[in-house]
Amino acid sequence: MTNKTQLTIRTEQDEKAIILCLAGRVDGTNANVLDEAVREKIDAGQPVLLFDFDELEYISSAGLRVLLLAARRMQAAKGKTLFCGLSEQIAEVFRVSGFDHILPVFGTRSEALATV
Amino acid sequence: MGEQGRMVVHLPPELSAALGVLAEAMEEFAAAESLSGGVSGKLNLVLDELITNSINYGLQDVAEPRLELRLAGAEGRDVLEAVLEDNGPAFDPFSEAPVPDTTLELDERPIGGLGVMFVKQFTESAGYERIDGLNRITLRIKAGD
Repeated sequence: MTNKTQLTIRTEQDEKAIILCLAGRVDGTNANVLDEAVREKIDAGQPVLLFDFDELEYISSAGLRVLLLAARRMQAAKGKTLFCGLSEQIAEVFRVSGFDHILPVFGTRSEALATV
Repeated sequence: MGEQGRMVVHLPPELSAALGVLAEAMEEFAAAESLSGGVSGKLNLVLDELITNSINYGLQDVAEPRLELRLAGAEGRDVLEAVLEDNGPAFDPFSEAPVPDTTLELDERPIGGLGVMFVKQFTESAGYERIDGLNRITLRIKAGD
């Protein structure tokens, strides 16, 4: 039995952006881990943060809260926050919460990077 | 599964254990009821949101916290039913939780309230009752996409 929900965060540095590739699940048990990883990147002064959700299966409101705060902090620092690779389910969660109106969402990583 | 199409899940009052038990129960229920990934994913999400609220807030100061989930299959109808009960202080999330305005801009958006909104959006009905010292939430969710 798996008691812990699993989240893996892999970071890739592109010439235009720092890319955070999330795999697994983000919920109330590990949203703080994501928050710390994101803060670290923002504090390092990255101008563009791209979240690649290609391997992300699940996100609850606890995870969305972290994303909203990250996008806000990036905006305050005149940076950009982009998203790509959303599954159908995560895209629906973005729609219902209205996040698709306030956060730039792209199909693929290259589509996202082409805008910066 | 016990009785045909019904399942009772005792959730431990600790968040990571509870969400782990929930995810396993969802897998089992989805297999037994032949649910699509979309339906079981929505059911998992709305229950996650309610269970997280219960454990992080309602049950925080309860000496012997209890949290129970009962699932009932569609059995020929087109809706599944999920009932979640806890013995925390009376709290109706559907009338007392703030409703976020999803049309506001990034810097004006409130941070909370999304969880309860997902519950309302992804269910056919979501009801609250206070019964015998328990908070009871009854959800009905479409069995098909």
